[in-house]
Amino acid sequence: MQKHNQKEHLYKLLVIGDLGVGKTSIIKRYVHQNFSPHYRATIGVDFALKVLNWDAETVVRLQLWDIAGQERFGNMTRVYYREAMGAFIVFDVTRPATFEAVTKWKEDLDSKLVLPNGKPVPAVLLANKCDQGIDVLMNNGIKMEQFCKENGFVGWFETSAKENININEASRCLVKHIIASESDPVQSIEPDIIKPHLNSSKIVSCSACFKS
Amino acid sequence: GYLPANVDRRESTLQRKRKEYFAFVEQYYDSRNDESHQDTYRQIHIDIPRMSPEVLRLQPKVTEIFERILFIWAIRHPASGYVQGINDLVTPFFVVFVCEYIEEEEVENFDVSSLPEEVLHNIEADSYWCMSKLLDGIQDNYTFAQPGIQKKVKMLEELVSRIDEQVHRHLDQHEVKYLQFAFRWMNNLLMREVPLRCTIRLWDTYQSEPEGFSHFHLYVCAAFLVRWRKEILEEKDFQELLIFLQNLPTVHWGNEDISVLLAEAYRLKFAFADAPNHYKK
Repeated sequence: MQKHNQKEHLYKLLVIGDLGVGKTSIIKRYVHQNFSPHYRATIGVDFALKVLNWDAETVVRLQLWDIAGQERFGNMTRVYYREAMGAFIVFDVTRPATFEAVTKWKEDLDSKLVLPNGKPVPAVLLANKCDQGIDVLMNNGIKMEQFCKENGFVGWFETSAKENININEASRCLVKHIIASESDPVQSIEPDIIKPHLNSSKIVSCSACFKS
Repeated sequence: GYLPANVDRRESTLQRKRKEYFAFVEQYYDSRNDESHQDTYRQIHIDIPRMSPEVLRLQPKVTEIFERILFIWAIRHPASGYVQGINDLVTPFFVVFVCEYIEEEEVENFDVSSLPEEVLHNIEADSYWCMSKLLDGIQDNYTFAQPGIQKKVKMLEELVSRIDEQVHRHLDQHEVKYLQFAFRWMNNLLMREVPLRCTIRLWDTYQSEPEGFSHFHLYVCAAFLVRWRKEILEEKDFQELLIFLQNLPTVHWGNEDISVLLAEAYRLKFAFADAPNHYKK
C-alpha cells in the first residue's frame, strides 16, 4: 500500500563492462539474492527490476540493464544507453585486461550519453570477484581513488556477487548520486572531488560517498 | 545439409569433410595462444561454460571439442570472427549426433567421454560442418555491428505491425522496443527462448525449408510473439512487459507446441510472401 505522501523515483541503470566479468551475477545477486557460477552469456540486453525503500517517504525503482559484454564492438550500445540515469562499470579483479577495458567503456558511455543538464551520468566502478584472492589492483599498485578521479567515477567498490559483498552498498552510492544530481540539476554537480581518507578500510571504499 | 544429393557419394564426402576438418585443426589450433588469436580463444574459453544445457557443457571433453570447433570456425571466417551466441548454435547438432549412440532420454546425464575416441572425432567434425553450413546462410548476423540482426528485427516489427496491430500498438505505447527482446531471438535463433528439444525440432524444419534460418525464421518469430498476445495485452507497464518477453514461459513446451507455431508461421508466410504490401495500411 502506497502512502499518500510517498515519492516514487524510477531510474534506469546500466551495467556494463567486458564479457565474463560478472555483470549478470551481480544483478542476480542484487535482485534475486542468489548466485550460480553458470549463468549463460548475456545476448543483447537483459532487463531486471529492483525496488528499494529508500527512506520513509521515498520508494526507488531501479531498472537494471545488463548489457552483453561484446556489445561495445557492435554499435548497439547507443540504443541501450538511451535515457539511463546512472551506470555501473564492472571489471574482474583476476583479469587485468578487463580493467584496461574500463576506460574504454567509460568513454563509450560518455560519448553516447549525457544527462539532460549536459553532465556525464554518474558511474560507479565495481572491482568484482574480490573473493578470488587474486588482486590485480594491488599487484599493479594502481591507486583506485586517483583512477576514479581521473576517469570521472563517483566512487568504486570491491564486490563479490558470489559472497554478496558490497553490492547493496555500491547501489546505494550510485542512487545517492543520482538523487543528488536530480534534486539540484542546475548547480554543477561536483561530488567528483574526492577527499583523501588514508585510513579508510579497503572494503568500504566509495570515496565520494564520504561527502554525506 | 552439406552432403551431395547422390547417396553413393555421401559416405566418401563425409570422410573427406572429416579429414578436411582435422587438417584445419592441425593447421590452426596451435595458433590459439598467438597474440593475434588469443583474444578470440580467450573469449570462446570464457563463453563455453556459459551455454546450455548445463550437464553437457560442464564436461571437460565437451568443452575441449566445442573450443576447437568454435576457434577453427572463427579463424576461417575473419569477417565475423567469434560472436557471442555462435557458441550456442553448435549444441543442437552435437546433441543430435551424440543421440545416435544413446537413448535421447539419457542425454541429460550422459558422460560423453565414454564414447570411443573415433566416434567423438566424427561427431566433432560433423558438428563443425553443420554449424558452418548454417552460419553460411546468416553470416551478416555476425559481421561488424550485426547488420543482419538489425535488419531482421526491423522486419519483424513491420511484420507484426501488419498481422497484429493491437499487439504492436500495445508494445509501442509502453515504449517496448523490439530490439530489447528480439535481438536474442535472431542472434540465437530462438535457442534461448525454448527448451533444447524444441530447438532441435524447430531446426529440422528450418533445414528442410529453403532459406529456413535466414528467412522463414522471421515468420516463426512473428508467430512466436503473437502466440503471447493475451499475456502481452494484459501487462500494463514497461517493466512487466519486458521481463515477460525476456522470460517467456516455455519450459514445458514440446513438439506439439512447435508444430502449432510452425503451422502459424507457414500461414503467415503464404499470406505475406506473394503480397508484400497486402497488410500495409
